[in-house]
Amino acid sequence: MKNIYKSGELTKMAKALYREEREIKRLDGWFIAKETEMLNDEKYKDFSPEVKKAHLLCEVVKAMPISLSDNAVFVGTQRDAFARSYALINPSFTVEGFSGYCDPMAIFNDIEPNEEFTKERIDKVRSFTAETKMVEMLNDTYKKAENYTKEVIFFVEQVTGHVIPDFRAALKYGIDALINEASSKEGDFYEAAAVSLGTVKILIDRYLILIAEQKKTASVERKAQLEFLEKSLKNIYSNGAENLYEALQLYILLWEIMCLEQAPNPYAFSLGNADRIFEPYRKELSREDAAELFKHFLVFYNVGDRSWAISQNVIVGGRDVNGNDLSNVMSYAIMDAYFDMNLPQPILSVKLHKNTPEEMYREMGRFFFSPGVLTPSLFNDDSLFEILKNNGVDEADIPDTSIAGCQEPLIMGKDNANTTNSWLSLPKVLEMVLLNGVSAITGEKLMETDGFELNNIREAFYKTLDKVIDEMVASANGASVALSELKVPFLSSFMGGLEYGADMRDTKKQGTKYNGSGCLVHGLSVLADSFIAIDKFVEKYNDKDMLISALKNNFEGYEDLREFLLSCSKFGNNIAEVDDEAAIIANRVADMLSSKKNYLGNPFRPDFSSPSTHLTYGYWVGATPDGREARKMFGYGVDPLYGEASNGLGFRILSNMKLPFEKFNGGYASHLGIDPKYFNGVDLGEKGVQFYNNIIRPLFFNELKEGVSPFYLYVNVTTPETLRKVLANPEKYAPSGVYIMRIHGTFVNFLDLSPEIQYDIIQRLDLNSTAISC
Amino acid sequence: MRIYGKGFNFSQDGPGNRLVYHLAGCNMKCIWCSNPEGLDFSAGKDYSIEEILNECKSSRMLFFSGGGVTFTCGEATMQPDELIELLKALKLEGINTCIETNGTSNRLLEIAEYTDYLIMDFKHFDNKKHKEFTRVENKQVKANFEELSKTGRQLHIRIPLINQINAEYPEKYAEYFSLHNTDNIAFEFLSYHEYGKEKWKEEYKVKNGFITKEILKSFEDAFISKGLKLIKT
Repeated sequence: MKNIYKSGELTKMAKALYREEREIKRLDGWFIAKETEMLNDEKYKDFSPEVKKAHLLCEVVKAMPISLSDNAVFVGTQRDAFARSYALINPSFTVEGFSGYCDPMAIFNDIEPNEEFTKERIDKVRSFTAETKMVEMLNDTYKKAENYTKEVIFFVEQVTGHVIPDFRAALKYGIDALINEASSKEGDFYEAAAVSLGTVKILIDRYLILIAEQKKTASVERKAQLEFLEKSLKNIYSNGAENLYEALQLYILLWEIMCLEQAPNPYAFSLGNADRIFEPYRKELSREDAAELFKHFLVFYNVGDRSWAISQNVIVGGRDVNGNDLSNVMSYAIMDAYFDMNLPQPILSVKLHKNTPEEMYREMGRFFFSPGVLTPSLFNDDSLFEILKNNGVDEADIPDTSIAGCQEPLIMGKDNANTTNSWLSLPKVLEMVLLNGVSAITGEKLMETDGFELNNIREAFYKTLDKVIDEMVASANGASVALSELKVPFLSSFMGGLEYGADMRDTKKQGTKYNGSGCLVHGLSVLADSFIAIDKFVEKYNDKDMLISALKNNFEGYEDLREFLLSCSKFGNNIAEVDDEAAIIANRVADMLSSKKNYLGNPFRPDFSSPSTHLTYGYWVGATPDGREARKMFGYGVDPLYGEASNGLGFRILSNMKLPFEKFNGGYASHLGIDPKYFNGVDLGEKGVQFYNNIIRPLFFNELKEGVSPFYLYVNVTTPETLRKVLANPEKYAPSGVYIMRIHGTFVNFLDLSPEIQYDIIQRLDLNSTAISC
Repeated sequence: MRIYGKGFNFSQDGPGNRLVYHLAGCNMKCIWCSNPEGLDFSAGKDYSIEEILNECKSSRMLFFSGGGVTFTCGEATMQPDELIELLKALKLEGINTCIETNGTSNRLLEIAEYTDYLIMDFKHFDNKKHKEFTRVENKQVKANFEELSKTGRQLHIRIPLINQINAEYPEKYAEYFSLHNTDNIAFEFLSYHEYGKEKWKEEYKVKNGFITKEILKSFEDAFISKGLKLIKT
C-alpha cells in the first residue's frame, strides 16, 4: 500500500471525499430499496418470511445504483440506507412540532418528488407500505395507547438499528466460511442467512465491474490504486482480510448491506471496540499510516450534507476480565484520525478503567480543549463489568461491551436490547395524579386515576405509575412484535443467529444470547424536587386546592407560592433530603421496570436518559410542584434541572454519586458543560491529565464510593459566549463549516442543528453547576 | 458561623481537592481584594456548626489527593470561637483542615493548634505601607509569624506581588524571613491578577498592578539566596 499511496495522499483524498459527500442534498437510495422490495414482493411470496427477506435483499443489492469517486480508497456507502429525516439535525425541527420517531409512514414525507422520483412513484410505494402487516400491527398498537402517548405519559417505538454486529469472524475467515456454516444447518433461518450473506458477493462483483470500467480511463496513478482495490476485493470474500486495508474494506461492505437490510434509517448501529477489531490486521503499518487509512473509514460513516447516519459509535480502550488495559497502537491511530478529520460522525467513545494509562488521558486532552473539535463520550469500564455481571452477562463476554447508539451498554454480537423501545415521563405521571388524569396542557382527560392527599403523594404516584408501566409494557411489546414482521437475516448472522438458528427479532425463539427491552426514564430531578417541595408545602400551607390551582394556572397569581417552591431543596447541591429522594425514586422505578417482561420474557432495562426528549416531553407537562413552569424542559438524564445546582461541580458530583447506578443496566445520561478556564496545563496533554484529576477520577474512580460508580459522562468544554460567537459569525469561528458539539450520546455539527437544539446546548452548559474552583 | 460562599477547589486552597468555605467579614480592605463581596459581615448567611459539619462529612468522597476542608476569606479568624469548635470537630472526624488567613488575629496560635495546614498572607514588610493598602498594621502579622516559626510547625506564607504597591525590595522581605526558623515554612508568590476587578462596585483603585517576569524572578532569587523554600500551587 505504501507503494501506491504516498504519505499524506490518503488524508488529502479523505478530506476531498468528505467534501464531496457534504454536497449531496438528496438521499433516494432508501426509496429505491423500498420500491425494489415492493416490485419483487410477489416473486418471493411462497417463501418463508426470513427467506423471502433474504431474496429481497439480494434484489435490493442488485438494483442499487453504485458509484466510485476518484477520491475513494474503498468501495461502499451507507448513503442508500438513510433518509434526510433525523429530527435534531433537521432544520425544520421545533420542540412543539416534535411527535417522536415512530411513524413508519412519515418517512415518505422526507422525499421531495422530482422528475425521476415522481409523486406517483412515491405514492405507490407509500400505499404498498401502509398495507404491510408490520405497519398495520404498529398502527394498532399506537391506536390502543393513544391517550397515553399523545402527550407522552409514555411513548413506544419499534427499535431498528441499535445493536452491535460482530464482524470479526467474517474478517478472519471470509464470507464463504459463514455461508458454509449456515448451509450445513437446516431450517428457514439458516437458509435465509446463507442467501443474505451471498449479497456480499453480489456487491463485490458489481464493484469489480465498475472498477474495470474506470480503469480504462484512469491515470497511471489511479489505475494502480484501482488495481490494488480490485485485488483486495477478490481476496476478501473467500479468504477474509489479510491486512488493515482489506479488513476495513470488508467491514465497510458488511456495514453497507446491514444498513440496506433495514433501510430507511437503521440508526445507532455501533462498531464496538474498533481498536481491538482492527489491531490484528495493522501488522507492519505505523500508527501514522493506520490513522491515514482510518480516515477513509470515518468518511464512510458520514452520509450526505448533514451526516444523516447518526449515532454510530466507535469505541476505543477498555479492559479485560482481569482489569488489564486493552488499548493498543490502533486505539491511538483511530484517535489521530478522528482529531485530524473532525467529522460530525461517527461518534467516538472511550472506555476507561482504573488501569487506563495516563497516555490515554494525555491524548484526550486535545479533543477536550480544542474549540469546535469533537469530544469522546466517557465510560467507566470497571462499573460496566459490575453492572453487566450482576445482570447475568457472562464475565467472558463483558470485554466486548459496546455502546449501541448513545450510552446503552450492550455486548457486541450477542445482545438485542431494543434499547429505545419505551419512554416514560415521570413528571407527566405526577401531573396525572395531581390533576386526576386531566392534562394541564390541553384539559383533556387522559387516564383514570385514584384520588390522593398531599401527605400521601408518593403512594398515589407509585400506584399510578404501576398502572402506566403496565400499559407501556404492553404497547412496547406490541411494537416489538410488529417489528418482528421485518426479518433481518443478514444482521442476525452477526448477532448469534448462526448459533441459535433464529432471526434476532423472532418473538418466539431467541436469536441472540442476550435480549431485553429498554425504557428511557425522564424527569428524575423534577420528580424528586417536586416531592420535597410538596412536603414543605404541606408543612407551611397544607392547602391542596391552592397548590392544584397554582399548577393549573402555571403559577399566575401564585408568584409568592412559586418563590417558596423554588426555594425548597433541589437535587444537585449535596442536600441529603432531596438527593436521597432522587435515589429512592431511581431505585424504585428501576425495580418496577426490571420486573416487567418483554415479548420473550426477558426483563426491561431501565435507562435514565433523555436524548433531547427532556425538551420535547417537558413541553407536554404543565407546571410542577418544584416551581418549574409549564412546558419547560426537564433535567437532562440524571442531571439536576438546569439552573438548580449552583454550587459547583463538587456538590453536583456528590449528589450524583447517591444514585443507584447498579440498577441502570439500560444506561443513563449525564452531561457537564465545562469552562476551559479552569485548566491551565502548559499543553493539551497536561490539560488532559488535569481533566482526569479534576473530573474523571473523582467521578468514576473514587475510592470512597460505595457500590457501583457512575459509568457515563459526556462533556462540552466551552462557554455560552463562545457558542454565541460561533453562531453569530460562523465564517470566522468555523471556517470549515463544521463546529462539533456534543448533544446526548452523539456529536453533531453545531451549525447543522435546528435553532431550538442550539439554544438547548447553550443553556444546558449551566456553568455554575460545574464550577471547579470557587 | 456566617458564610457567604462555598465550593470545591483543587490544590489552590490547601493540599488536594478541598471544600472551601468563604467566611463573611474581613478586618482588612485590601485595594486589590478579589473577593470584595465577602468584606462585609452582613453579606453572609448563618449556618450552625452541625450543619457545616454534616456537609463536610457528606463530602468526604471529594477530598481526594490529600484534600479536606478550608476556611478562607473574608477573614476566617474573625469568627474564632465557631471556627475552633468546628476545627476540633473536623479533627475528630479525621478530616484534613486548612485555614487561609491574613495573619492579624491575636488568637491565631490557638487556631493553628487545630489546623492541619495553615496558609498566611504576608502583604508587606513595611508597617506604614501595609496599613496604607490594607487599612491594618502588620505588627500582629509579624508577631504571629515569629511565634509560629518558633513552634516549628508547617506554615505556608503567601505574598501577593503587585506593581507599585509591594513588589519592591525583595531582599528586605527575604532578610526579614531569614532571621527566623523557616525549616517547615514554604513561601509562595502570587503574581497580581484582576479576578476581583469586576466585582468592585466602587472604583477599583489598583492601576498597572501586573508585575514583570523579571520582578518575580528577583523575588525568587532573593529568597533562594537566603535559603528559603519556594512553592507554587
